[in-house]
This record gives sequence, C-alpha cells and structure tokens, in this order.
Amino acid sequence: MATDITLLWASGSHACWRVMIALEEKNLQGYNQKQLYFEKGEHKSKEVLEINPRGQLPAFKCGDLPLNESCAACFHLECKYKSQGTKLIPDCEDEKALILQRVFEVNALTEKSSIVLYYNWIVPEGERHDSAVKRNKEALTAELKLWEGYLQKASSGFIVGKNFSLADVIVYPAVAYLFQNGLSEQRYPKLAEYYKGLMNRPSIKASWPPTWKNAPKQETLKDI
Amino acid sequence: MATDITLLWASGSHACWRVMIALEEKNLQGYNQKQLYFEKGEHKSKEVLEINPRGQLPAFKCGDLPLNESCAACFHLECKYKSQGTKLIPDCEEGRALILQRVFEVNALAEKSSSVLYYNWRVPEGERHDSAVKRNKEALTAELKLWEGYLQASSGFIVGKNFSLADVIVYPAVAYLFQNGLSEQRYPKLAEYYKGLMNRPSIKASWPPTWKNAPKQETLKDI
Repeated sequence: MATDITLLWASGSHACWRVMIALEEKNLQGYNQKQLYFEKGEHKSKEVLEINPRGQLPAFKCGDLPLNESCAACFHLECKYKSQGTKLIPDCEDEKALILQRVFEVNALTEKSSIVLYYNWIVPEGERHDSAVKRNKEALTAELKLWEGYLQKASSGFIVGKNFSLADVIVYPAVAYLFQNGLSEQRYPKLAEYYKGLMNRPSIKASWPPTWKNAPKQETLKDI
Repeated sequence: MATDITLLWASGSHACWRVMIALEEKNLQGYNQKQLYFEKGEHKSKEVLEINPRGQLPAFKCGDLPLNESCAACFHLECKYKSQGTKLIPDCEEGRALILQRVFEVNALAEKSSSVLYYNWRVPEGERHDSAVKRNKEALTAELKLWEGYLQASSGFIVGKNFSLADVIVYPAVAYLFQNGLSEQRYPKLAEYYKGLMNRPSIKASWPPTWKNAPKQETLKDI
C-alpha cells in the first residue's frame, strides 16, 4: 500500500529521483513524502537520522523496513509490487543480467560527475589543484564516451532492451543531471536523444525535480 | 555449465574474490579462469579489454554475456543457477530487501577503505595533503562503526541466520581490512565475522593466493 511507504527527499538528488520514478511506475502514488533541503542541513535532521543513520537522502521506509540505498529500494519495490504497474525486470535472463550490469555500473558515472560538479564542495580550499580538476574532467569524458557507446548499440530509446526497465529508472536521473548542468547535446547526441526521449514519460514528468522547473540550466559541464 | 564461464582475476581484488566465492557456492568449480597481475599492467591487456572495455578486473563472461560488475555477476549466478548449490537469496521479502541494502551499501565501505589504503596510488605526489589523509581516516572510522553496529546482533552472517549473497559481497571487503592490519580489539564484531567465515569451503578455496604466505600489512592498525 502506498500509505505504508515513506520517502524523505531533496530536489535534484538523482538517488531520490530514482525512487520516485519507481514509485510512479509501480502505481504507488499517494506515498508519504516530504521534500527537504540540503542547504538548510535538513538531511542531518532527527527525522532523517531515525530512518537513515548516515544522514543522507533518500531516507526511505517500506513499512518498518528502512531501505536507504536507492537502488535497493527500487529493486525491492519491483519485487514486492511485481503484479502492479510497469514490469521493470523482464523474465529474459540475459536482459535481466544486462540490467544488473548497468545498475551497478552507473555508480562510476555518478561518482565521476560528482567530482567535477562538486569539486569545490568536496575538496577544501587548501587542497584544490588544477591538475586534479583536469584529471577529473578527463575521467568524466572517458566515462561519458562509454555510455554514449552503450546507447549507440541500444536501438529503442531505453538503456537495455526494447522496454523501459529498472535500468532506466536508475540511469535516467544521472543522465538528466548531466544535461541540467550544461552537457553538450552536440558532443553526446545519443545521450541527448535518450534524455529527451524519456523526458515526457509520465513517471519521469511527475517526479521531475521541482527546483529545475523554473531554474536556468547550469553551464558547468559545457566544455566536457 | 562451469565451462561456459570465464573469469580473469587478480589476487587481493575484493571484487574478483566475490565472484569466485559465488562460483564456489553455486558448485561451478571448473570454470575457465586466469590469474592476472596489476603490477604487470595485465588488467589493460587485450584479453581483458575484449571482455571489459574498462580495463578492470574482474573480467567475467557467462556464455557470451560479459558481466564485469562483480555484484551483477554474483546476482546473475544466483538467478541462473538457483537450483544448485547454496541458496544465496532467501524467499523472505524482508531478508531479501536487507541483503539488497547491504550489497549496495558495501560500496561506501570499499571506497573509504581504498581512499586510505591507496591514497598514494590514487593521488599524485604534488596533490597530497595530510589534512586529506586525516579526513579519509576519520571517514573510514565512522564507516567501520556503522558496520560494527550491523554485526552486533549477528548469527555470524551479515544478514539473517544463513550465509547469503550479502556475505558473498561483503566478506571480501571485511577480510581486506584485517589483511591490512585493522585492530581486532577495536572492532570485535567485524573480527568475529571475519574469523567465523574464514574456513567456509567457498571462502577457503578462493582465498587470495598472494595473502597465504605474505605477512599482514599494518596500514590500518591505527584506524
């Protein structure tokens, strides 16, 4: 039941967004939710720490069960609510395996994006180096080439196979995040096509980060 | 069939070790395998790149399907060979959910361990700072406290009362810490977990060969 589910989330957090997309896809609208703000330090509040001792978002509970790793939450929702909403994990074994591969692989993409986007946030002033900034950008560029390649081979607008799957739930927010931060659509046409192609999917549209709706796009990644 | 499976691996790589434990647990001994050496740059060789374009280990193939993410490979082996060997994912929904949680969470532990253990490998000389080293050690300490907490009520396994996929994936990361000198006194529950599973057949059979005769490192003794 949607009312057994609780999600504390922040706008723009790709990990939170994944869970929201999964909830929409499984027809679980009406879950208990609250938008929090990193800038106000709300991710370290008592209500978050009660669910997620790491003080991170998402803080997610299904019944009494905390499941703060966003991918774990998405897998769990698909298993528990298998008979309703979109089928996010196909029966075909090979496709299931490739979904697993992309789900675990997306961490490399988000890690490399974060170190470029949040360098000044992650690294104290006295420890910053232009050489590190350059290296991080090169690493992100190499990573993006891989994902552009995966989408070259994918023919149907989804990251795996011919249907929207758990891999899209988990990968799409990471890709959207890149374009929200100015990634070049000319340099990464397949990623751009993927991004635009799923933008109006109901679950994605319904959960689109509210702080992105009226804000101008950032330009941080335009030279990547 | 074991002979459809290929694994290129390196000793001491916790990601490779996970896959080897899973293969043992699913009674898939006899798979095609080759030990490679990072020090010789063999992870960037043509035979690795053909399976894993990232030039990382493990490089793993099940039939024609490359599955280089170690956790993905472990999940796949459990699903494909569900009816043989140890049942690594229980039917119980809550047990399964907690396994998923720990599997995805172990990345935080592995990353924070690596930041401390491989600082000089990852960070070029001109960019190293004592303040960063200190911060990385503090982060690892906080992370270890969490895992010590997860094991307080344990039956010897990271989730539930049976060996599961969570142990396949978490155990190598924990063993790695003790191989590098983590204090058993300061982390008694982690130490108990480490020693308790050391002689499990799948773990014993796949124990990193380079650890067998090598002295333990001391890098983490003050953590």
